[in-house]
Amino acid sequence: MQKLLKQIGLSVFLLFQFTHAFSQAKKPTIMVVPSDNWCIRNGYVTKFDEMGVVKTVPDYEAAVQGSSDLLLVMSKLNELMAERGFPLKNLESALKSMKGEMAEDALLTSKSGSGVSESPIDRLKKTAKADIIMQITWTINQTGPKRSITFNLQGLDAYSDKQVAGASGTGQQSFSAELPVLLEEAVLTHIDNFNSQLQAHFSDLFENGREITVRIKKFDSWENDLESEYNGEELSSIIEDWFAKNTVKGRFSTSDATENYMLFEQVRIPLYDTNGKAIDAKGFCKGLQKFLNSAPYSITNKLMTKGLGGATIVLGSK
Amino acid sequence: MKKKLFIIPLIMLFFQAISIAQPVQRKKAETATKEWRYELECVGIGSQGSYLVKVWSYSKNAKVAIEQAKKNAVHAIVFKGFAGSGQICPSQKALAPEVGVEDKHKDYFEKFFKDGGDYMKYVSVSGDGIPQTIKVGKEYKIGIIVSVMKDALRKDLEAAGVIKGLTSGF
Repeated sequence: MQKLLKQIGLSVFLLFQFTHAFSQAKKPTIMVVPSDNWCIRNGYVTKFDEMGVVKTVPDYEAAVQGSSDLLLVMSKLNELMAERGFPLKNLESALKSMKGEMAEDALLTSKSGSGVSESPIDRLKKTAKADIIMQITWTINQTGPKRSITFNLQGLDAYSDKQVAGASGTGQQSFSAELPVLLEEAVLTHIDNFNSQLQAHFSDLFENGREITVRIKKFDSWENDLESEYNGEELSSIIEDWFAKNTVKGRFSTSDATENYMLFEQVRIPLYDTNGKAIDAKGFCKGLQKFLNSAPYSITNKLMTKGLGGATIVLGSK
Repeated sequence: MKKKLFIIPLIMLFFQAISIAQPVQRKKAETATKEWRYELECVGIGSQGSYLVKVWSYSKNAKVAIEQAKKNAVHAIVFKGFAGSGQICPSQKALAPEVGVEDKHKDYFEKFFKDGGDYMKYVSVSGDGIPQTIKVGKEYKIGIIVSVMKDALRKDLEAAGVIKGLTSGF
């Protein structure tokens, strides 16, 4: 009887392992956002004074509320992407969630005493958790009575900020076609080439993992630095070894390394953790944070993130 | 009477020659398709989910060339893609750009591209359907505008496992 129970237990365990290993990855999420260039040209911007410098940032909410053409393009893209099995995240809903998070951030900032420096797009990426941002720009070209549209569709990886897909071009000149018709034509013209590049990007993700950037810094108050030795090895080498073990195929590049600062770029992290949960830069760096916190290093450190693909660990304090 | 007896076999021979020539021309046209002997040019933005293209086919028989044009258009969109045409439309990649995909799924494509095969579901002659004919040597180069339902075609190829969908793997 005991033997039978053992066999059943082993079979269930093996079945679980098998299904876990072959479970499917979660679909990346995509969101359409107007480019900064488009927002600025069409006046959908907010200006604020930052330490005496006037900064102009896009006002997505005003753009969505004020431009019917933008809504049309977003809706058309959504329709076409949904047909390919990728319904898009809605910008308006993401903006509403972002407002709530900004209010929470304001409270956190005053509590810790340090400011959070993120651009609207960084905040949007973090709130919407969109893996790919489809950035759209168009300009209307007028030659006498003839009009045409120059359309630019860019697929930006929210983790690495790299352009992973793109399609652009100028459409045929027309005397009579209205702007929405020209815009619809532009979307239909470019979506296939965009999607074929997106597919190539997904294949690369499956093979090599996501790309993020990690920075290691130290607080001035910390008595050690990245050249301090632990068990006869420099801390910088220990961190590099950790990256080699935890990245996909050991892929990362140490772009900068001094006693106070290290920069890791093109860090390829797995898409999902062992529980099947999607990992971003924060999730990945939590592993490093724990590793440095534990013996024999016992280094207190602070983890800060920027968007989905940027993380900074500051050593020496919380 | 003698004259009549002489004419009847001649007429019979003439019709027999025509009935033999047509399949020969069709076979030649099939070979031309397999050897990529056709040209495709974009003529405009098709309705949603379709490409509007002009396909040029070669044959000594104009009727055969027109029939083969539909097959050539689908063949090109699956395996070859097409070059853009200035501001009218940009270049488009093939639906199945993978090298050797035709040999890998030989059985599927033989059935798909046979006369009256499934390819017919995805192509229709557009506009007035009047072909443009150019005599090149002993052959006709015949251009006809067709509309290819590329989205439906892509879905069929994905369902058959010939190409990967955007969501495959997820």
